[in-house]
Amino acid sequence: MTYKVEELNNISIVHLNGEIDMDVADKARQTILPLIESGKSVQVNLSKVDYMDSSGISVLIEGKQLAEKKSTKFELIEVSKPVEKVLSMARKFL
Amino acid sequence: MSEIAHQDHIEKKAFLVNSSSLKDVRVFCREVFEKLHIQEDLKDELVLAIAEAAQNIVKHAFKNSASPTELMVVQISCENNKLQIAFYDRGTPVDPKKVKHREIDNVKPGGLGTFFIQEIMDAVEFKDGKKPWINHLVLTKQL
Repeated sequence: MTYKVEELNNISIVHLNGEIDMDVADKARQTILPLIESGKSVQVNLSKVDYMDSSGISVLIEGKQLAEKKSTKFELIEVSKPVEKVLSMARKFL
Repeated sequence: MSEIAHQDHIEKKAFLVNSSSLKDVRVFCREVFEKLHIQEDLKDELVLAIAEAAQNIVKHAFKNSASPTELMVVQISCENNKLQIAFYDRGTPVDPKKVKHREIDNVKPGGLGTFFIQEIMDAVEFKDGKKPWINHLVLTKQL
């Protein structure tokens, strides 16, 4: 997995790229959560993520919950088809 | 259920028990499912279920601390359009009664893997592992 963080109009956009599994979930977590922790609005662009498992979904749940706690915005944008499929299965929990 | 008659097939491969192997597990599964001509959508779901089960071995049976040479085996077989995926490992014995996904109103990270496996597969069965194995998990799906 690779990533890029872009700052645009006071929003941090995290572009994730590749496969998000247990092996790299911590890297995604350490990229996304500190941005939310600092009070920024965060968008996660998932257009180039071609695989995501429960570890990746967990990072997104943590992001959503932390954003609620910090009263900031946390959004998923340009969700790829493979991720959308996994999210639709997980939606009962989201 | 698929209307395609899938060829009978059996293939297995051993992987090191660590999180870096999960990608290799997925590659192996995709290669086998290509040979079986399993349709793309189902293939993605099956790969996810298998990767989640392998992840559970790394995370729970070995609690992320397997020795560097420890192996787990994944075997994929198809017979009469019934797909069976078997996992063998030598981790902590799994108590099937304790393996369940969390409740739907319990929103917290983690524990989704078992839910995905149960959603995707027709059956999930823990069998007694025969030596040298301790755990033997079998996932089945009618194609």
